[in-house]
Amino acid sequence: MRKTSTYLYVFLLLLASCREPFNPEIEPTDLKVLVVEGYLDTEGIPSILNLSYTRNIDADDDFQLIYPEGTVFLESESGAQFPLTSLGNGSFEFSEDIPEDQIYRLKIFLNDGSSYSSEQIQPIITPEIIDVGFERNENGVEVYLTTKGDQNADDFLWTFEEAYAFRPKIPTAYRYDPDRKTVVLATEEFRTDLCYREVSSSDLILETSSRFEDQYVFRQSILQIPRGDERLTVRYTIEISQKALDKNASEFWEVMRKNTDDLGSIFSPLPSNIGGNFVNDQDPSAPVVGYLSLGTVRQRRLWIDFRDVIPWGVAEVEDYFGCIAEGDTVEIPDYESAFKTGSYTPAIPIYCDTCYEPIGFRKAERRCTDCTLRGSNVKPDYWED
Amino acid sequence: MKKLLLFTFFICLIFDLFAQTNKGVRISGTFIGTPFSTFAERVEAESSVRFFYKKEDVDNLQVNLQASDTELRLVLDQIFANSGLTYTIDSSQRIWVSKGTKIVTDFPLDYFLVRERQELEVNASDTLGAFDKNKRFVIGKATDNPESSTATLRGVISSIESGSPMNGAIVLEKVNFTQVATDKDGRYQLKLPKGRHTIWIQNIGGFQEQRQIELRGDGVLNMSIAENVLSLDEVVVSSGALSNVNKLDMGVQSITIAEVKRLPAVMGEVDVLRGVLTMPGVNTVGEATTGFNVRGGAADQNLILYGNSTVFNPTHAFGFFSAFNADVVSGVELYKGSIPVNYGGRLSSVLQVDPKFGTKEKFSGSGGIGILTSRLGFEGPIGKKTNFAIGGRTTYSDWALKLLEDEADLKGSNIAFYDINANIQHQIDDKNILEFTSYFSKDDFQFDLDTTYSYQNLNLALGWKHYFNDQLEGKFTVGKDSYEFGIIGQDNPLNSFNFGFDVNQLFVRADFEYRKAENHIFKFGAHGIQYDINPGSNKPYGPESIVIEQQLSEEKANEISIYFGDEFTISEQFSVSYGGRYMLYQFLGPMTINQYVEGAPITESNVIGEETFGKGETIQTYHGPEFRVSGRYTLGNRSSVKFGFNTMRQNIHLLSNSSSISPTDSWKLSDSFIKPQIGGQGSVGYYQNFARNTLEFSTEVYYRYMNNLLDYRSGAKIVLNEDIEQDVLNSKGKAYGVELLLKKNTGLLKGSISYTYSRSLMKTSDEPSVEKINKGEYYSSNFDQPHHLVFVANYELSRRINTSLNLNYSTGRPITLPISKFDYAGSERVYFSERNAYRIPDYFRMDFSVNLEGNHKVNKPAHASWSFGVYNLLGRSNPYSVYYVPENGKLRGYQLSIFAKPIPFITYNFKF
Repeated sequence: MRKTSTYLYVFLLLLASCREPFNPEIEPTDLKVLVVEGYLDTEGIPSILNLSYTRNIDADDDFQLIYPEGTVFLESESGAQFPLTSLGNGSFEFSEDIPEDQIYRLKIFLNDGSSYSSEQIQPIITPEIIDVGFERNENGVEVYLTTKGDQNADDFLWTFEEAYAFRPKIPTAYRYDPDRKTVVLATEEFRTDLCYREVSSSDLILETSSRFEDQYVFRQSILQIPRGDERLTVRYTIEISQKALDKNASEFWEVMRKNTDDLGSIFSPLPSNIGGNFVNDQDPSAPVVGYLSLGTVRQRRLWIDFRDVIPWGVAEVEDYFGCIAEGDTVEIPDYESAFKTGSYTPAIPIYCDTCYEPIGFRKAERRCTDCTLRGSNVKPDYWED
Repeated sequence: MKKLLLFTFFICLIFDLFAQTNKGVRISGTFIGTPFSTFAERVEAESSVRFFYKKEDVDNLQVNLQASDTELRLVLDQIFANSGLTYTIDSSQRIWVSKGTKIVTDFPLDYFLVRERQELEVNASDTLGAFDKNKRFVIGKATDNPESSTATLRGVISSIESGSPMNGAIVLEKVNFTQVATDKDGRYQLKLPKGRHTIWIQNIGGFQEQRQIELRGDGVLNMSIAENVLSLDEVVVSSGALSNVNKLDMGVQSITIAEVKRLPAVMGEVDVLRGVLTMPGVNTVGEATTGFNVRGGAADQNLILYGNSTVFNPTHAFGFFSAFNADVVSGVELYKGSIPVNYGGRLSSVLQVDPKFGTKEKFSGSGGIGILTSRLGFEGPIGKKTNFAIGGRTTYSDWALKLLEDEADLKGSNIAFYDINANIQHQIDDKNILEFTSYFSKDDFQFDLDTTYSYQNLNLALGWKHYFNDQLEGKFTVGKDSYEFGIIGQDNPLNSFNFGFDVNQLFVRADFEYRKAENHIFKFGAHGIQYDINPGSNKPYGPESIVIEQQLSEEKANEISIYFGDEFTISEQFSVSYGGRYMLYQFLGPMTINQYVEGAPITESNVIGEETFGKGETIQTYHGPEFRVSGRYTLGNRSSVKFGFNTMRQNIHLLSNSSSISPTDSWKLSDSFIKPQIGGQGSVGYYQNFARNTLEFSTEVYYRYMNNLLDYRSGAKIVLNEDIEQDVLNSKGKAYGVELLLKKNTGLLKGSISYTYSRSLMKTSDEPSVEKINKGEYYSSNFDQPHHLVFVANYELSRRINTSLNLNYSTGRPITLPISKFDYAGSERVYFSERNAYRIPDYFRMDFSVNLEGNHKVNKPAHASWSFGVYNLLGRSNPYSVYYVPENGKLRGYQLSIFAKPIPFITYNFKF
């Protein structure tokens, strides 16, 4: 009598999860919270403190930023004061060589009458970066760094800035000269076939050295460059900054990193409200964002040439989708009509068997030939070839 | 209607009676100690019949029976049997009741004698099959207690189809009209005069069965009876479902596997937890989360029991599937209001999942092969006294994840899980039963190629039921529950790690039930738990790894509770249940703990020393009482008022910094700094049945308070934190709400509408702490969803076509939104609003399914059915979460939905 049952599932399963833009109606709370950003160098190398205010989440790029203005100085526990020089737009420069064995407090007096004080800050001398390097792996290239913590420096923050040289999809040595209404060889100033692009990264890499034997942080991964990425097609450089942090600073940066990186996947942690080490003197419960640290920044620059990673298959760059040089030749009399609007440029010269000058060009869209649309044809001043 | 008609002599011929019975009149309901006049009033209200009787004739007549769509004639036969009264029904559906004549009183005896002519003498130990009605069973030995004229007949009624015990079946003997209903284990007990009897068994909605016995002394008669021939689904009736109005408990919701199977499935899996979510007061924060919130409590405040075993993680595949294999579950009950005194240890609710032990009838197997999951199970007897059920499931759902991966950041994902249940029941003799239940599950998954997560549950329990005498029974259980998870990270061979966490508990419990007279049921017992938690360890993985091994010290504790409760029937109208538990909890060494400045926030800078405790030394003791009181007052026949108050204590906490249960959440014991969660709940409810008990309405209002909840300070680190007390914030909570439920259980259209208005709020307590969330004011908890509406409808188009529709609406859950932004470290960063100040968009979903059955011939070798339907019929993309990410230096807001399209499914299903 016992009935057994067998279930056979047949699914026409069109399973899909979905990520859609979200624009909630938020009360336009004008949250004007002071933001303090800085890592002041204690060895006299000029370093910058930036003051700003938070702005509404919907604020556009052309939002007129209002910067806090006032006076800022660092005060040691012995009472010595070290003023910072205002550079305008909320920036202040600090260039004093101060003793690292003292405890300091930063004071901010704003023109609107409010004042802010930091908690006590103990400078930390950041150990030197032992090594930076890169390694090819199955996913592309990994940039790593090796360092070693010490008694004072246990927690580290690494940030980096990248720059790279690149060529457009259809490089050309020529350009249309609107004054002479003809195609000429581009001089250095008008060059469009090799450009440089600087990229600042929002990545924050944090690590605690005491997790490792002898506080030796070996080959800490800084960045993974995917296979075929444009950055390694000509020449690439990355400058990594290493800062030692105290425990509280490390927590601040961890919260900032989590608030930036970790939100939105299935097991995302709850966002945390970010604070820092500043207090509004008039209203201690008022929020202030930012954590100021004192110490030294260690920096190392790494260069990677395309020869170092050969073979490096080139992945399609989104900006160059659909780029082709058109089949029809634009002959000399047609140069003006073809190129004067600037949306097309000469791309591939056509020669006759006996001539030295091109008799015409195949044309291509400017976005495909002109690298200055995405970068600068002027080398950054630190560039080494 | 109630008119006194004078019929001093009314002679009723029994043959007339049969001829005139109107077969259309059927009644349903439970009548316990109901005066006949009340009974008559109720029947009149629900049908067109009219009773005519003399008040003094029926003054002492009480109605004790349970009817489910039973013919009125059969019910009246039972009522008047041996009462000296008789009745007739005329063609106008008038029922004439009169004082009996000889003919009438003799009738029932004659009736039974007809049946007895075929009886055969059989031994009670012979196989008791479905068609044993004509055998005569000799029960007991005449030499036992020969001076007594009566003897006790005991036994278990079980289902032929499933082998599981049958709850609420009526066992009766019609001469003296002795009857009893079976309890939830299918047990009954009758005291009868020695001699021959016919025993009748009436199952709700099923056929009547009968057995001939010759009772010579105390003995046992176990019976297997058919549940319902027309039902192809397994029908399991849980005790809570008996009566909306009359049951004493409030805030108890039962769901049968048959009901769960009628709900439209997600990915085709019959999911008991999804059934729980259709109940009022139960909600979940996200679609792929089977962690659930009951009456504003956190997910870790639910005690999830499989038999007597605590299941720490009730989900597979991070919440897509429930950990319970519906094939080895016999029923599910959720206690959210008055929690019975024999349960304790969690603040919000108890989810009791009853295991199946298989049938004694025959060995059988079942299995299923699906595209996402497959399973195999066997059950049946081993010898005469032992039966078992074993079942296993496994998945190969990788392909489904591949479809998900582009959108949900699940690239490189890989999921595998399996689980095994094995349960054995052995009847040593008629007074002793041994039960063994076991459950094992394992999950492995990867979100990217470098990181493997895994977790597993293991539950073992051995129980011994002993019937001391007619009044007293006891159950003794020992068991072990464990849960562990691990993460292996292989991002870089040098930094490869193996992280692990586990929680283990050994438990022993003794539960007794003592029935004193008719109006007291005492429940008492003791429950001991030994906890052993490894809060986290991190080891190097692989030969090249230079990760330093880290091991947080193990946490050990003992918890002992004793309890006593009484269900006291004061009068027909008024019953109360009261009782209490006392819990003693000791956090034990070896361990070194920090000492902090007295009265200051617990922070690293306030550490003033350390204290070391040796093995087994008591570090911290907590103890305290818990109270349980509930009562019911019936107002007339169809409505009642109930109230309840209880307090609860919880010593184990789930550390979780995400809004849903995530596999990496770990459990933490109360220690010197993290105190046991303590809470209380008061509730009042009103219950009313309408339209011949086909419509049940109930409303309950509750208020809860909770102390020593955990929230986390900004930037809290939960994993591998040796000083977790520095990162948690002692918080208080309160929750209140009103739940409305309208349910239709019978007829072609079945269904329910439940609406809940509820709030769940938290605040950082006044204890010194490093941070006061939202300046110490109350804020919405992560699962504060004020409006929640669930509509379930099931319409039987014919015996073979059954459709169901499910609607689900709830307010979006609270979320902390970025409200402003600023530039920091080279990028735009977000500044968040106050905790949970905003909400994600409201949730709404509609599901539809159709079941097509094959024909219903009983003797067909195999039954087949199709079920198909659509999950999220409207294709609404209900956001699961909302987040902002910087893209090219600009902040973009996104909402993530798990099931953003209609998901059709088809299931082919056959039984043999």
